[in-house]
Amino acid sequence: MSDDTNPLMMIIWIIPIIIFVFYGQRIQLYITSSEIKKAIKKLDSFKVESRTELINYIKTNLKPKDDLIKKIDRFLDYFTIMPVDMDPNGIIDKVRHTVRSREDYTREHVKLLSPEISNLELTKVQTLLELASSLQMIYKIVNHMYLTAKKQNNYPLILPLQILLPFIMEQAEAMKEAIPAFKAGQPVGDGIGSMVVGKMMLDSKKETVAFQTVLAKTEFENRTLFLLKAEGPASTVGRPADALETIVSSNKLDVIIMIDAALKMEGEDSATVSQGFGAAIGGIGFDRFQIEAIATSNNIPVFSIVVKQSVKEAITLMTKEIADQADTVSSQVYEMIQENTKEGQSVLIIGVGNTVGVTQ
Amino acid sequence: MFSKKKIIIAYTVEKCKKCGMMRKRKFTEGDVLFTESSNCTSCDGMTSVEKIFGETIE
Repeated sequence: MSDDTNPLMMIIWIIPIIIFVFYGQRIQLYITSSEIKKAIKKLDSFKVESRTELINYIKTNLKPKDDLIKKIDRFLDYFTIMPVDMDPNGIIDKVRHTVRSREDYTREHVKLLSPEISNLELTKVQTLLELASSLQMIYKIVNHMYLTAKKQNNYPLILPLQILLPFIMEQAEAMKEAIPAFKAGQPVGDGIGSMVVGKMMLDSKKETVAFQTVLAKTEFENRTLFLLKAEGPASTVGRPADALETIVSSNKLDVIIMIDAALKMEGEDSATVSQGFGAAIGGIGFDRFQIEAIATSNNIPVFSIVVKQSVKEAITLMTKEIADQADTVSSQVYEMIQENTKEGQSVLIIGVGNTVGVTQ
Repeated sequence: MFSKKKIIIAYTVEKCKKCGMMRKRKFTEGDVLFTESSNCTSCDGMTSVEKIFGETIE
């Protein structure tokens, strides 16, 4: 009798098939959950570390008067409810209002912790608070998705988490590694635009044109250059769109050039410089919307120069490769001005990005 | 399992405004890009911070 007709062998084959038919999903759930559990443990440690770093930083640098830990924990738990988008009409203004209200609230309450706090320290604490609060939120969401799938014994429910987890972990690790740079006030990869424009405006008179945003006016080959960036060396991105509105109300601009960091694609080299069209500015989108609207209504072409980098490079200490590109970007800006404008015209150059550690 | 721990060391590059000499040193708290930093070691000029960056050591 061959193995094929042996009833014992048939049972040995059939039993695993039956097990997989009825319990396959559950087995997959157990295998996947061990990987997710490891990631959740890592996220938990990021959350705890960022909170501890924030508390220690405030204790050492600000010498707060009141009970610090309770207040910090309350800040970390703050959430933002985005406006309803069933009727998208006017949603940009609503999003801007919500985000700015949150920023203003945090700023005022950090000030209350230590009324003598300098602007530089205030912006650093605000950024550290944002990082710690984002890490806490990521941990909560991932943990919630995992526990829900486990509670329901529902494998398909854990699939989206399994797919997204590598990207989530990349973001979380970048945020955790960003903390030392912001604490020390060191420039980050995202600050390359601010670095280029900051250097260009070194010998010019600066004026505050919008909240945490500075403007300088200079000349280049009979063209007027308006140089705009966030006010360094604070950890801020400023409000370039508000500044543009003010500049356009009293000046005629012929070209806008924006310099920013951009996320590189997989396979692309870090710190490569690319040129393009359109407003190069990140964030939720209301700044870009406002810049595009002003440029369109005034018929101003918008050019952009970006320095490619990874998520981690953008928010951690600037790498040598990115810093070395500052002069290349600067010469490309001047070339762009020569190629796209005539003598007597005006150009606005915006250095977009967080200006921590970069003065002007 | 075999990944080496990476350490990032921050450096500051100073450039003399007078003779243009560049000097690389370790970053110290308070270094800010384009601010005056120290006296030049080769002339009587002042140096300013030209670059601040991190280098990874495995």
